[in-house]
Amino acid sequence: MEPILNEQQSLMRETAVRLCKDYGGPKRARALRNAGTEMDVPAWMELVRSGWLCAAVSEDAGGMGMGILDVSLALEEAGKQLLMVPFAEVAAVAHVLGKIGARAENQLRAVQQGLQILMPALPQEGWGNVGSALPIARFEGGQWFLDGRIRHVPFAQSAQSYLVAARIGDEIMLCAVLRHLVKLDTVANVDGSTSSELVMDGSLVEESQVMVRGAQAQELLETLRDLLAITTGAALVGVSAAALEMTLEYIKYRQQFGKALGSFQALQHRVADCFVNLELNRSLVYRVAASYDAGQMHAAMAAAVKARTSRVALSLTRDALQLHGAIGYTDEHDIGLYYKRAIALAALYGNDINQTARFSALTL
Amino acid sequence: MNWDNTTLFSDDNPADAAFRREVRQWVDKNCPENLRDRPSRVTPPEMKPWHKKLFERGWIAPHWPREAGGMGATLEQQLILFEEIARIGAPTPFPHGLNFFGPILIHAGTPEQKARHCPGILSGDVTWCQGYSEAGAGSDLASLKTRAVLEGDHFIVDGHKMWTTNGTHADWMFALVRTDAEAKPRHAGISLILIDLKSPGVTVKPIKTIRGDAEFAEEFFDNVRVPKENLIGPLNGGWKLATMLLGGERFATGHPRNAAILLNRARQVARVTGADADPAFRQQLAALEIDLLAFTAYYRHGAALHGLGKVPESMTPVMKLAAGPLAQLASEFLVQVAGPAGASLADMEVDGEAVNPAEDLFEMRRVTVGGGANEIQRNILAKRALDLPS
Ligand SMILES: Cc1cc2nc3c(=O)[nH]c(=O)nc-3n(C[C@H](O)[C@H](O)[C@H](O)COP(=O)(O)OP(=O)(O)OC[C@H]3O[C@@H](n4cnc5c(N)ncnc54)[C@H](O)[C@@H]3O)c2cc1C
Repeated sequence: MEPILNEQQSLMRETAVRLCKDYGGPKRARALRNAGTEMDVPAWMELVRSGWLCAAVSEDAGGMGMGILDVSLALEEAGKQLLMVPFAEVAAVAHVLGKIGARAENQLRAVQQGLQILMPALPQEGWGNVGSALPIARFEGGQWFLDGRIRHVPFAQSAQSYLVAARIGDEIMLCAVLRHLVKLDTVANVDGSTSSELVMDGSLVEESQVMVRGAQAQELLETLRDLLAITTGAALVGVSAAALEMTLEYIKYRQQFGKALGSFQALQHRVADCFVNLELNRSLVYRVAASYDAGQMHAAMAAAVKARTSRVALSLTRDALQLHGAIGYTDEHDIGLYYKRAIALAALYGNDINQTARFSALTL
Repeated sequence: MNWDNTTLFSDDNPADAAFRREVRQWVDKNCPENLRDRPSRVTPPEMKPWHKKLFERGWIAPHWPREAGGMGATLEQQLILFEEIARIGAPTPFPHGLNFFGPILIHAGTPEQKARHCPGILSGDVTWCQGYSEAGAGSDLASLKTRAVLEGDHFIVDGHKMWTTNGTHADWMFALVRTDAEAKPRHAGISLILIDLKSPGVTVKPIKTIRGDAEFAEEFFDNVRVPKENLIGPLNGGWKLATMLLGGERFATGHPRNAAILLNRARQVARVTGADADPAFRQQLAALEIDLLAFTAYYRHGAALHGLGKVPESMTPVMKLAAGPLAQLASEFLVQVAGPAGASLADMEVDGEAVNPAEDLFEMRRVTVGGGANEIQRNILAKRALDLPS
């Protein structure tokens, strides 16, 4: 169902549809993958120009004063068009920087003006439930030094710095770490995106790059996690929607047994179920994002978004592949790009299992 | 913040919030104890006092227009009444007269027909049943064969209706009958008539359900005389009226509350059986709660669109396809959590309350069959929303 939007939101959505079409699409995604390009730079520059990276930053802090719902609407389009950019991440980071205020002002301005890509670098394994240790910060001679490893950071080679949560005893701090002060170990993912391990062996962080500490840092870290779940979930809805649309077109056109595949009831019922799952997720993203914007979101709702959008994106694109037959198994056909993007995004920031466990822990 | 799966995304405005408080207090005070959280089905005679109370309070027909004796309530107010009644485990009054037939009567009935039948529906003094299905006409309802032949100022009705909920208790039936055997397409030969079940020639036999009760019945019509003025709408115009009804019910039948109640019951039972210490239980519960949250989001989104007159055609089938299986999964989960007691006919005692997982399991089986089975909903979605060929 269509979201309920005001005029400004409708306008932004229309623009997003156009921008993502112009700077995305399967052909472009394939070319980037084949060339081993981590990030689509022209698309990124266009996003910087649009101002949407700071759409969910208050006007006082220099943003557009819109919300996570607006960012999510644009991300749905980015997902549909397979845009290869860290939009979900940087928009979430920008929102958090905006909440920090003065100590993050410079970082935020640099993000907004496109002078830096500040990627969140958070431990991914278990997504905060199990097994993810934060790097350790030590203070020596008026400066901080970080030790530790953070695995599976996307777009790490394209970033200029990373937003890192580091541990100081019982406390945590959020700081910006410069890219050239960490060692990167990068591998390619199934969809052409990358996954880097950040190795910090005494990486220097100047005091001015420490943005927040203590209880507020912990709270903002949780917010960042929630937002990454929602924005990535919105992109997964877009990926799923495009895969379903492509599949519907295919089964209307492809003939077997003298009829269009789409006339067979077994297939009709399968795509009907896909549609139901997708429709629910769309409403889920809209409602949860709007709840966040209204200051009424329970953290479990964000976990639910990522769990369910991941689950459905995987099952839906898998069904899409099946309904394409052998052509779906080829590298040449575009449906595989959606399948693989679903795999990559579902794995990030807590997959279905991680987020379901998080939901459980948050609702006990 | 605590997790309350019954108030998710509810965004009452101040007036609605006040109405909710008022309803909550009143329902709590006025619903008979013996009807609350009942594992077994409430029969029409048991329902009557509760129906009457709601009637006297003016809350029995929130969705009816004021001039017909209803509240003319907004969808939000309707949902509040439904939710607050469900909150204490009280039964919702039977829908056959109030929700299924009433709106048709108000829409297509003559002033005389309305004056005659609306009061009994509202007060609950008259019990209505829906006579659509037949042995040979289920999903393919338009193939129905029960005949009504006009002779003078009476229809003569012959045939057989089946699966009629409350059939053994009902005073009246609103029935789809064939009034033109030759009509093409077949649904162009169907009319909607009202049959007094005490008429000579009517035989009602109970049918035992999978729950073991006699919820539904079959009726045999042998030369039954039905006055001509009991025709609702035009002759051979019954199909349109009947299908209108199938579309209008979506917000009441697909409410996420059904699944929420079952999941909360599973939580309670798990505390008693110790299953709540099992991580596998918690993971599965969370997965179901996540589905419930998604469905609730869709439901509230739809309700908001309804207010704007922008509900897409796909909403009715999507609601049915999402709500039914979710409630069924929740009831199956409840049975699992109960362990061996899940197979028992006897009630479990949980926090001083009687719980019967098998009853819930059976009750939920109906929701994907009645009112257009889920396979039919998928057919509708495929054709109308996804534009797939025949
Ligand atoms: C508890 C309960 C209460 C009821 N109360 C009433 C009542 O008060 N009044 C009344 O009139 N009726 C009532 N019904 C009947 C109900 O409307 C019918 O059961 C329903 O329309 C399905 O018809 P059927 O049972 O004949 O199943 P069938 O139509 O025989 O269907 C059997 C199975 O085949 C599937 N199927 C059928 N056609 C297709 C197709 N084209 N493509 C794919 N799959 C198909 C169905 O989905 C179903 O799974 C009640 C039913 C139940 C279970």
